Amino acid sequence: MIEAAELLRVVAAEESDVFVLRQHGRRVSEAVGLEGQDQVRVATALSDLTREFVQQDVRATVVFSVCQNGANHLIIEFHWNLGTDIEFGVGFDTAQRLMDDVRLARQEHRGTVVLTKQIPASAPGAVEPLNRMRALLSGEPETSPLEVLRAQNQELADALEHLEVRRQDQERLNKELDETNRGVVALYAELNEKSAQLKAASEAKTRFWSNISHELRGPLNSVMGLANLLLAPDSDPLTEEQHQQVRLIRDSGSTLLALVNELLDTAKAESGKLVPYLVAVDLSALFDRLRQTLGSTVTNPEIALVIEPPPFVTPVITDETMLTRILRNLLSNGLKFTERGEVRLSLHTEQDGRCLRFEVTDTGIGIPADQREKVFEEFHQVPGELQTRSAGTGLGLPYARRLAGILGGSLVLDPDRETGTRAVLRVPVAEQRISTLPRLNSILIVDDDPLFRERLAGMLTDFADEIREAADGRRALDIILEDPPDLAFVDLHMPVLTGRELLRILRAKPELAAIPAVLVTSATPEDLDLSVAGLDAGLLLKSQLSAESVVHVAGTAYQSAKEAARETG
Amino acid sequence: MDRVPILQIGDVLLVSIQVDLQDQSVLNLQEDLAERISATGASGVVIDISAVEIVDSFIGRMFATIASLSQLFDADTVVVGMRPAVAITLVELGLTLGNVRTALDLDRGIKILRVLHERRRGLPGTGHAASTLGLR
Repeated sequence: MIEAAELLRVVAAEESDVFVLRQHGRRVSEAVGLEGQDQVRVATALSDLTREFVQQDVRATVVFSVCQNGANHLIIEFHWNLGTDIEFGVGFDTAQRLMDDVRLARQEHRGTVVLTKQIPASAPGAVEPLNRMRALLSGEPETSPLEVLRAQNQELADALEHLEVRRQDQERLNKELDETNRGVVALYAELNEKSAQLKAASEAKTRFWSNISHELRGPLNSVMGLANLLLAPDSDPLTEEQHQQVRLIRDSGSTLLALVNELLDTAKAESGKLVPYLVAVDLSALFDRLRQTLGSTVTNPEIALVIEPPPFVTPVITDETMLTRILRNLLSNGLKFTERGEVRLSLHTEQDGRCLRFEVTDTGIGIPADQREKVFEEFHQVPGELQTRSAGTGLGLPYARRLAGILGGSLVLDPDRETGTRAVLRVPVAEQRISTLPRLNSILIVDDDPLFRERLAGMLTDFADEIREAADGRRALDIILEDPPDLAFVDLHMPVLTGRELLRILRAKPELAAIPAVLVTSATPEDLDLSVAGLDAGLLLKSQLSAESVVHVAGTAYQSAKEAARETG
Repeated sequence: MDRVPILQIGDVLLVSIQVDLQDQSVLNLQEDLAERISATGASGVVIDISAVEIVDSFIGRMFATIASLSQLFDADTVVVGMRPAVAITLVELGLTLGNVRTALDLDRGIKILRVLHERRRGLPGTGHAASTLGLR
């Protein structure tokens, strides 16, 4: 079927539109060539049908079109939105009586009535070209300017109404979005709160552990000390039985102390306060110490503890204490769960020497494959006969893994191992740059302990022409103001003026701020990291005092101070 | 809104509709007419629709209403000058005009009224004439 050509499109919304439609119907009928009687029929039908819409307040768009395919038809369509539907009465009946065909359809949200009137072939308008018809229609000045204005007003009102609907839609959507947002925000708040609670709980647990462990250590030490006193050869003699019992007390106490220490270590590692203290470590010496301390604990002749010498002799930069603890943990674990065979520690290098791989292998009972990750959970112990016999908290492996993490490495159990256990510890090697100290003019050592001053000075004689000493911060400040040294070692805890205060004073004075300084302390680094922040000083632990560490720390501090001075110009 | 003029000739009111009627105009006419009949005591109403091209069901019903209304005031209504196309359309619509009498033109319409009036006053007359006139 050939598409109908549209002639006219009007909107029926108000009462006066009945009249307007009637007139349009008349004119269009005339234009398409319908004879007078048919013109009246079409106009009457339109009038009645339009009235139905207007009276029920249903806006309809009326489209006049003509279909010219042999048998010509005038087609008049009423379209309306089903949002406000219409019930047809007498008007529809009129249309059915006066038109050739009337079809009513309701589809989706749109209703349509199509009126058809056949145009006789003889009609003059039927053969006229379409544009002629249009010209005829538009040429007829029957619509007054007022009418045009009204139509335009109507269009404007339509557009406004459409906009209003859109705006309301948007408003509704916005409201919905707002509500959703509020929900999300509330959810977030809840999540935050939960996470804060969890964090607080975890912190409380850690604090509890560390407090309890601290509190337990005191009495335990007393118990062991007293037991030792009782057992001492010069104390009052005990009967053999009593002797045995006291020894049992002491041994149990020492086991308990070991457990408590483990708990305390784990708590510390967990609190995030542990920072690696990187120094040059001689692995051969470290392995020797492990061999000695652990070798003495092996009482079973069927077990061999094999610690392979490291494949290289150059010292590596890492945290000696943590590395020792991890390895000791792994080795003693291996010894604990092996009844015969050997426990072996070997060292390999990976990634061109940028990573160390320690392997601790035993021929013991092994760990079932499904438990190999679980053993890293705190307090988890593999169920089994041997495990129940030996004392343990289930904290050893988790602690070792935490330390490995702090060192920037990893600790895993070889998953493919069929018998026994192989633990693999990977530790990255800090850059093999051991700082050296150039020869300086003068070094100042500030410490209230004369023995320590002497010891440190002895280590530094090769690096400076002049080594000056001060017993407290006040004196040190006088010396520095008089003649600034090239490098200063400052004890943290001193009478009169503490090392921290002294350094603060120095850093606040522009001419003295650049003096390289090393803080010396007997405290452990985990207690220090906050208090020395912002002082631009190296850190030297009295407990790890060695010629190498002194030179390394001092050299690093010296070079970074020089670099900082260069940068500020 | 245009108002349709109502003229008085003797005791007959003449309504000559010269334009295409809007719905509101028809309603206004109905009101005005009722008022005028009651004010003048007219005995008949002639509605001339010779200029009206389209009478749809609403307007057709309105003529019937006007006729019933005037009857309450003791007046008869005659619609005159209906165009053939309009008449055909009304028949096709199946619309009866109820109590409305129709006449070919104004002259005959007034005659019918006169006959009706006299018959109602008890005088013998040619009352049949009106009843035989109908839609053509």
